[in-house]
Amino acid sequence: MSTIKEYLSADHSRCDELFANMEDAVAKSIDSAKEAYEEFAKSTERHFQMEERVMFFEFEQKTGMTQGPTAMMRHEHVQMRNLIAEMGKAIDAKDKDKFFGNSETLMILMQQHNMKEEQMLYTMAQQHLSAESDRIVDMMQSMIVQ
Amino acid sequence: MDFDGLSVDQAPPISAPLRFFLTAPLFGVLAGVLILLSDAQTLSSRFSSDSIAITHAITIGFLSFVMLGALTQMLPVLAGVKIAKVDMVAKISHFFLLFGTLFMIFGLEYDFSKLILSASLFLGIGFLTMIVSMLIGLRNIINATASVKAMITSLLFALIIVLLGMHLLASHGTGKFSELHVMLANIHSVWAIFGFAGVLIIGVAFHILPMFYVAPRFKKFCKQKVVWLISTGLFLWLALNLYFESYAIVAKIWVALFFWAFATTVYLKLNARRRPISDVTVWYWRSAAIFMTFGAFVWAINDFYDGKYIVVVSILIGGGFIFSIMSGMLYKIVPFLVWFHLNAKGYMSIPTMNDMIDKRLAKTQFILFIISLVGFIISFFLPYLLVIFAITFIASMIILEYNIVIPVLIYAKIIKTKPDFDMSMFTMKVEK
Repeated sequence: MSTIKEYLSADHSRCDELFANMEDAVAKSIDSAKEAYEEFAKSTERHFQMEERVMFFEFEQKTGMTQGPTAMMRHEHVQMRNLIAEMGKAIDAKDKDKFFGNSETLMILMQQHNMKEEQMLYTMAQQHLSAESDRIVDMMQSMIVQ
Repeated sequence: MDFDGLSVDQAPPISAPLRFFLTAPLFGVLAGVLILLSDAQTLSSRFSSDSIAITHAITIGFLSFVMLGALTQMLPVLAGVKIAKVDMVAKISHFFLLFGTLFMIFGLEYDFSKLILSASLFLGIGFLTMIVSMLIGLRNIINATASVKAMITSLLFALIIVLLGMHLLASHGTGKFSELHVMLANIHSVWAIFGFAGVLIIGVAFHILPMFYVAPRFKKFCKQKVVWLISTGLFLWLALNLYFESYAIVAKIWVALFFWAFATTVYLKLNARRRPISDVTVWYWRSAAIFMTFGAFVWAINDFYDGKYIVVVSILIGGGFIFSIMSGMLYKIVPFLVWFHLNAKGYMSIPTMNDMIDKRLAKTQFILFIISLVGFIISFFLPYLLVIFAITFIASMIILEYNIVIPVLIYAKIIKTKPDFDMSMFTMKVEK
């Protein structure tokens, strides 16, 4: 089984692919881009929840740090959720400019966020939670999105 | 392990990078005016005071300002490294670099030795404050990625070229030139372009291209070996220059080859990128790759023509490659910083990044810049045309300044209003 770091990093790449698909779909025709958007939004939301409800939770329990890096990551999730919602509204309003304005911002924010996670937080999580790594990955895989 | 860099308030205050970014195009304007006022003939010699002044208005005033500003922002994100007292370091460094560069330009233009000597001191303080602070921050890095290693290498080259530069400039101040002066000047310029700027760009590109454009990742070989191979080439070039000068061209071709390969890789990766958007930053990356390809070629063969075309090489590599990438970066990083800092302070209704930059103006700026570069090369052969392209260059720099001032004005306007949310719970450790 993959480690926490491998599993979540691979999920970042998957979300990046879906992001590119979505932008591609909007560039071609915003009228029929809703599906690609939904797919991206759903996968990203799932990723956020896998972290917030499983991995961050376990990490916080283990280390006792609830106001540390995970708090900031949760905060950035909120920022990204807002941008994704704005992008959905732009698609409904068929406003390409607004869509790409928000998607550009999301892209940079998301990449900065992923980098911090992959280079620091996941590495830390792997160190603190190595004994339970399999169980945590398993829980993330089987989690049902709320 | 260090958590710094993981929280938004550990990102440097927005003023730290912006201070440098907003100054850079102004030096571009100044460089343009100096080109306009100077005699095209003197500019074709790289050792005239005019040439040295204009070159440094660009290499320090524009390129280094953008690079240092960007590093204050990128170090926490790419490396998880916090620069201690970053706000103060940025202020001090900016102050000394600003006046140091001005002193240098006017000191050389008016042959005023005290000004030149102060410039040497000021520039030394300005650069070293920043470089040493960053290297200290990078000292404890645990998880050094290819980009981080490239940054460290680049900063070490920067350290050497700054010390060399201080010495060279002081020689101009005192009017006493050592026998080694020309050779030291060569090392200074080659290491600055390829060691400091070149390596930094390559290191950052490893991250930026796959990330922001969803382009294919760089191969492992590329990430692990290229910076090392280039550095080896640069040291080999130095050694050959010292002991077997006639063979120095071997090392030159070595270095040029890797930069040419890098340029081609960038171009191909952009072609294969998954994001459909094509904005001014993509154009700048592409133009950089094209100019670098020509630049590497002309630089390598220049020796066969007694170095006659070194000015063309500088335009192609300094202007076409490095300047292009720095300009493109400004278009991305300035609006993002504005958005990011406002959002982090609890403002929700912020214009999007695309609303902050007028696309048509960005395009005009890009076209004027490219025309100027091509024009400068033509003017090398037809000097009477230089005036026209000095003017297009000045215009492109004024528009660039305008384009990045607009987002900053938006920031200044919004920050005066009340935030939509109270974000005080997230400001645990505020960087002062």
